Amino acid sequence: MVGLSLGEKHFIQGGIAQDLRCDGRKRLAYRPISVETGVIPQANGSARIRMGATDVIASVKAELGRPSLLLPDKGKVSIYIDCSSTAEPAFEGRGGDELAAELSNALQHCLLGGKSGAGAGIDLSSLIIVEGKICWDLYIDGLVVSSDGNLLDALGAAIKAALSNTGIPRVQVAAGTSNDEQPEVDVSDEEFLQFDTSGVPVIVTLTKVGRHYIVDATSEEESQMSSAVSISVNRQGYICGITKRGGVGLDPSIILDMISVAKHVSEQVISKLDSEIASAEAEEES
Amino acid sequence: MRGIQLPLSQTQKVRLQKTLEQLESLSSKVNSDASVIIADSIPVNHEDGVLKGHGTADLDGEVVATVCGVVERVNKLVYVRALRSRYKPEVGDIVIGRVVEVAQKRWRLDISFNQDAVLMLSSMNMPDGVQRRRTALDELNMRCIFEENDVVCAEVRGFQHDGLHLQARSRKYGKLNRGQLLSVPPYLVKRQKQHFHHLEEFGIDLIIGCNGFIWVGEHIEAKDDMVEDQVSQSDPQVLLHNSVSLEEQERNYTILETRKYICRAANAVRVLSILGFNMTLEIIKGIIDLSLSMNLDIHEMLGSEFCVLVAEKEAERRSSNKKKR
Repeated sequence: MVGLSLGEKHFIQGGIAQDLRCDGRKRLAYRPISVETGVIPQANGSARIRMGATDVIASVKAELGRPSLLLPDKGKVSIYIDCSSTAEPAFEGRGGDELAAELSNALQHCLLGGKSGAGAGIDLSSLIIVEGKICWDLYIDGLVVSSDGNLLDALGAAIKAALSNTGIPRVQVAAGTSNDEQPEVDVSDEEFLQFDTSGVPVIVTLTKVGRHYIVDATSEEESQMSSAVSISVNRQGYICGITKRGGVGLDPSIILDMISVAKHVSEQVISKLDSEIASAEAEEES
Repeated sequence: MRGIQLPLSQTQKVRLQKTLEQLESLSSKVNSDASVIIADSIPVNHEDGVLKGHGTADLDGEVVATVCGVVERVNKLVYVRALRSRYKPEVGDIVIGRVVEVAQKRWRLDISFNQDAVLMLSSMNMPDGVQRRRTALDELNMRCIFEENDVVCAEVRGFQHDGLHLQARSRKYGKLNRGQLLSVPPYLVKRQKQHFHHLEEFGIDLIIGCNGFIWVGEHIEAKDDMVEDQVSQSDPQVLLHNSVSLEEQERNYTILETRKYICRAANAVRVLSILGFNMTLEIIKGIIDLSLSMNLDIHEMLGSEFCVLVAEKEAERRSSNKKKR
C-alpha cells in the first residue's frame, strides 16, 4: 500500500471524527459483502468472500487421521493462512509470512477455543469416527487474494461460509475388529454429512482511529489506526475470543464499550452473512 | 458483463445485460473491422515491407495481433493500440502524481506510468512567486514545498534524456490537500479541454488526471501569485502537524456539508470505474444529481441497484444524444 500525504491522512481522520468516512459509510457500517461458495471443486468445502477490494478464499479439506492421545474423543482442526504476493507487493517472498502467522493465530484463538478443544466454534467431538482410533482432520486454508483492509473479518466470514459448504463423507466402520488394531473403514462417495455451523462465531474488528473506532476499515484507514481489537461473537451473543493489534494501549473502559458495540454489530453481520451464504448455496445448486 | 464484479440479483442481471447490449449497439461501427483480439491476423500488403510495431507478431508469414485493441497504421508501421493499457503520457497532459523521492534539485513522482516522472525544482513556480534563479538554499528547503507521499498536480512537459519531465508553472498546479485521491483505470479518462473543475454548487474541486488519478477535494481559491507571502503559505502546514492538540486539529477538519459532497463525488467516480464508463464532468455531475434526487445515502451509491440505474441512465443519455445528431 502506498503512503498517504499529510492532507489525506487529515481528511481520513476528519471523516472518522465526523462519522462520514471516505466512501460515505458511517463508522459502524460494513462494505457490501459478496459470498461465493464451492469455488474449489477438489476441496470438501470452499468459499470466497469479497468486501470492497478485499478478496479472500477459504477451503476446508477433510482427511482421516488418528486423534491425539490426550484427547481421544476429539477430532483435529488446523487453520493456515497464506498471503498471496498478488495481494500486495509487500507480501512478495517472505514478506507476507509475518502477517499470515498473525492472522492464523488470531483465527485459531477466535474459532478453535482452548487447547482442550473446549469452547471451539466447531464441535470437535462430531469429527470422531472411532474413539481413540479414527477421526477427521480438518485442514482449513485461507488465501488472501487481494487486500484492502479488514482481512481478519473477511477470513473469519470465509471460513464460516466454507464450513457451511463442507460435506464430510459418511464413513462405515467394519464391525468385528479387535481392540488393538486399526479398524477398517469404508468412505462413501455419495453420502455427505453437513456441518453444524451455527456455533461458528463471526469476527468483528474495531479499529481505533483518533478517539473513535470503526468497523471494516479499508487499508487507508488501517494505516491511521492506533490499535485494533478483534472480537469474535457467536449467534448467542457470547464472546468467543478477543485479540488486539497495534502498539497503542487502550483504556479498559473503552474495551468494554467496544465489546458491547461489537456484540450489537455482530447481530447484523451474522444475519447478513447467513442470507448471503444461503443465496450463494442456492446459486451453486442451480 | 465482463469484469463487472457486482453482487446482482436476477432482475438486475437482466437489466444490466440489456443496457450493455443497448450501449454496444450505440457505439460507432466505423472502425469495427480495425479492432482485433489476440491471434487475429492483420491484413497487410507484404510487398511494401511492413514494420511490425507494438502488439504484433509474425506467425507463419502472417502478421497477428498479440493484444486486444485497435489496429493503427502509420505509413509502413502497423501496431495495435491496446484497449486496456497503462497510461502513456503526452505533452500537455494534466496528471496527478505522488512524490516518491526528493532528490537533487528534483522530485520523483509516481504517475502510474512505467517509469517515475521527474519534476525539477527549476520547472515550478516558487511559493513566493518571484522569478529568480534557484539557490542552494532553495534546494535545501525542497521538503517545505513537497514531501514524500504528497499528492501533486502537474503538467507533462516532455521526454528528456533522463526520463519524463513535468512542470508546474502556475498557481493551479501544486500540492493537493484536504480531499481524497482515487485511482481509476487510465483508459477511462479521455483528454479534454478542461481537467480542473470547480463544482460551485457543492464547493468542491474535481481534478481528472489523464493518468487515471482523480482528486476530489475542498475548493481552494487560487490566489494571486504576487500578493502571497511566505507566512500564509506555510500556515496550513503548521496547523496540520501532529504537535497540535486533538481539539485544535478537529476544528480544522473539512466541514461536514462539503465533506458530504466530496464523498458523493468520489462515489460517483467509483461507480463509473466499476461500470467502466468514461470519466467526464458531465457524467459525474449527472450521477451526483441522480443520487441527490433519489435522496440516496452516500454509501448506498456503491450498491448494485444504483450501479444498474446509472448504466441505464447512461444508455438513455447516449441514445438521446445520438438522436439529436
